[in-house]
Amino acid sequence: MKLNLDRREFVKLAGAAGVAAATTEWKPAVAAPQVTAPGPDAAEKDLVMAALDVVRSAGAGYADVRITRGNTEAIAARERQITNVSKNETYGIGIRALVGGSWGFAATRDLAKDSVTATAKQAAAIARANDRINPVKTALAPVKTVSDGRWMTPHEIDPFTIPVEQKAELLFKTNEEALRVKGVRFVTSSIVSIRESRLLGTTDGSLIQQTFLRTGPNVNVTAVSEDNADFQTRNATLGPRGAGWEYVVGLQMNENVLRWAEEAAAKLTAAPVQPGVWDLVLHPSHLWLTIHESIGHPTELDRAMGYEANFAGTSFLSPPEKFLNKFRYGPALMNVVGNRTEPGGCSTCGWDDEGVPAQSWPIVDKGIFVNYQTTREIASWISNWTKMRESLGTAYGQDWASIPFPRMPNVSLQPNPQDLSEEDVIGATKRGIYIEGDGSYSIDQQRYNFQFGGQVFWEIKDGKRTRMFRDVAYQARTPNFWNSMALIGGKSTYKLGASLSDGKGQPQQLNAVSHGCPIALFRNVNVLNTA
Amino acid sequence: MQSPKRHGLSADECRQLCQKILGFAKADHTRVNVTSGISGFTRTAINRITTAGETDNVTVRVTSVFGKRVASVDTNRLDNASLQRAVTDAEALARLAPENPEYLPELGEQKYIEVDGYYVSTGDLTTESRARAAALGIKAADTAKCVAAGFIDVSAGSQAVATSNRLFGYYSGTGVASTLTIRTPDGLSSGWAGDEGADWNTIESGRIAEDALRKCRDWRGKTALEPGKYEVILESTAVGMLMSRMLGAFDARQADEGRSFFSKRGGGNRLGEKLFDERVTIISNPAEKNAETAPFTNAGQPVQREVWVENGVLKSLVYSRFWAMKQGVAPKANASNFIMSGGDTSVDEMIKSVKRGVLITRFWYIRGLNPRIIAFTGLTRDGTFLIENGKVARPVTNFRFNQSLTELLANIETLGQPARVAADESGGVGTPIVVPPLKVSNFTLASVSDAV
Repeated sequence: MKLNLDRREFVKLAGAAGVAAATTEWKPAVAAPQVTAPGPDAAEKDLVMAALDVVRSAGAGYADVRITRGNTEAIAARERQITNVSKNETYGIGIRALVGGSWGFAATRDLAKDSVTATAKQAAAIARANDRINPVKTALAPVKTVSDGRWMTPHEIDPFTIPVEQKAELLFKTNEEALRVKGVRFVTSSIVSIRESRLLGTTDGSLIQQTFLRTGPNVNVTAVSEDNADFQTRNATLGPRGAGWEYVVGLQMNENVLRWAEEAAAKLTAAPVQPGVWDLVLHPSHLWLTIHESIGHPTELDRAMGYEANFAGTSFLSPPEKFLNKFRYGPALMNVVGNRTEPGGCSTCGWDDEGVPAQSWPIVDKGIFVNYQTTREIASWISNWTKMRESLGTAYGQDWASIPFPRMPNVSLQPNPQDLSEEDVIGATKRGIYIEGDGSYSIDQQRYNFQFGGQVFWEIKDGKRTRMFRDVAYQARTPNFWNSMALIGGKSTYKLGASLSDGKGQPQQLNAVSHGCPIALFRNVNVLNTA
Repeated sequence: MQSPKRHGLSADECRQLCQKILGFAKADHTRVNVTSGISGFTRTAINRITTAGETDNVTVRVTSVFGKRVASVDTNRLDNASLQRAVTDAEALARLAPENPEYLPELGEQKYIEVDGYYVSTGDLTTESRARAAALGIKAADTAKCVAAGFIDVSAGSQAVATSNRLFGYYSGTGVASTLTIRTPDGLSSGWAGDEGADWNTIESGRIAEDALRKCRDWRGKTALEPGKYEVILESTAVGMLMSRMLGAFDARQADEGRSFFSKRGGGNRLGEKLFDERVTIISNPAEKNAETAPFTNAGQPVQREVWVENGVLKSLVYSRFWAMKQGVAPKANASNFIMSGGDTSVDEMIKSVKRGVLITRFWYIRGLNPRIIAFTGLTRDGTFLIENGKVARPVTNFRFNQSLTELLANIETLGQPARVAADESGGVGTPIVVPPLKVSNFTLASVSDAV
């Protein structure tokens, strides 16, 4: 497959932190702190400490302070021209205070000491005002103090050190290669590089400096029929990665684009899919998004409890006592972990935004739903059933201006212990459709009914991939779909897919998250023709 | 006169800041964009205020140009050294950037229509006022032994654009959205209501609480209905959520290049063709009351009142400056809001005229399905009802829809009175959308969703 830098190499890059396998034990696997990552800037540390003092004096029972500096560099090209070269820096301080049982949050870009003091007071005042009008109780799960935490995304080459001309040249080469294919009229390509420095201080005494690196390349090819009556696109869905420039190098975009361009052109004359019931073989470049929507989101505990009812919705996995350790999500070969230590994962970190260490834990164990995603505020809601008092470490605020709240960790379907290849899985399919890449996706607010498209579709006949189909989407109900999973590939088929912009919360915040999975076969899924 | 209490930098402050930045510049052309102001929110769930906060920010974008080499740098650090560095970085990047053959020189002075979209009622809204408004929803739910989750989103600030060719534009505005979901404790029913505007005084918090609770009560005891093609009544929020997806579709280049519904077979576009029901007129207008927007784009291009569709006929498409030059026509900026004409039929009257159909409150998770016919998929949410013989017969389970919007605009039977709606799925303040409720035939409800 096209991803030359595979998971095995990322494990190597990431050093000791490996992928934790699903386990029936409750003790989560925890990432080891890094001693080589940069520590806090002295001036920032002083500001964090000063803000914590002010907010504590203003009556906060608990507070956390975050100084984040986000840097983004983006470059994009259309055919033979550059359409965007930009850099973005956003820097500021966000202060979250708990007064009585109510939260208040205030943030400013102005890091002058007076401004930080005023903002700290404002956070406490907002919390107090809410507590007066609507008094409530809030209990935070215990956490071990980390006095000097340091972490940085494992990487070989900082993407910010690669000159913009070099990036432009790669995009031009990529586009030129695609345009060689007959029928291909348009191609866009882009690379975004992200660095985020995050200093967290809490009134519990933790001080943690982390630096996240993410790299996101993309290619999109459009073929148009000669009479302009039809057009088809092929998005390469390369996906972002918690990694450095070495990830882009390994992708070999400028060579692999030829296949994507040929597929875009072939889609123009591909056979229309016959709607009906089909077996599906889902490639990881497609299946990651189905996992995200139908496992990642419904297992967010705040959702299940109604915290997202006005936007993202609730969850079919509610109330917890009726589902935990009882609900059959899928067959016994289904093991899913929440994992903030996944090498290359976009949600991988050292600690979350409440100072809880990154860890890996089972969400679905041998097909049974066994745990949600939690933060310090919500962990105790289910501790009767999980026997866990501590948070699983999923608090995250997208930047200094955003309040931390529960966000999805990397949620990954574990590979088959028996190392089945892609050919083995296709070979087990008599009449099916092979789907690669993510396309249109939509799922209801409790995560039952979903409909997903893809990028390219191939008919499987008697265990062999044959002709190309077009206009395919499948529709299913989450539990039926996962219980129809008949076979999964081994670790050699395991790959990560990811998004930099998973939306949740009000105001909406974006989260970067990855999902690993092997190739998998699903029986008897309802397929429709979208034309 | 501008109130000194406004959030965001004033016109004078923006002008000075832009001049200072332009003073640092050595490029052939430089453009500066300044966005400033506050955002505030109050969020509720399970009948409590869960979070609330306020953020202030100023973002400066410097775009530097050498010949046809262009790059930009954003920063929110406003000390002289940081601003100077932003300019230096943008210029260094621009020198390195390959030429963009489609780049056209920065605009000089422009004449913009006058728009003041700043409402003090919104700008001066306090944490306490937001909390009291949110508490109305909590109280309504509590009293009815139901569960409320809501969101009040407020923004107030200004934006400015300046170029080294002496262009300067300034706009100051506010926005507010208030949305509320009320559910039964057993999770089997859910109702939603919401308002959006520029003026907090147009947000009816009491009515929102009543409507959300009414929907929640009315939807109890829902039962399944066969999927299929139905006559539907789309409440104005539902219409707005679909029509906001039309905003990006009116692009001349996409049409001329053969990758749009508006592409003409054999080449060119479909300007002048009657494509929709003759009662469909779609305009955009930055000065629309309570739906105001800046009268200029980020590049300083004027945004004016435009008629996109008139009596069902495609009248205008968006022309970027480059594409306009290439086609020999005047440039036309993107629509900054979406205003659709209506009629005078109320939703109740529409219901009376339906023999068998479905009433839809709003939608969720709308995603593109087929750009060739501007088709989308998504789900109904928070109140879906079967209408029989002119009456709401019973609540029904949600549906997934698969529907072409162009067919929808051709299949309109009745139009109601247009209103600004909270059309953004996130519940936040979005692009202003002003639309009527509609009665439409042949709407495709493709499958049943069990979700509540």
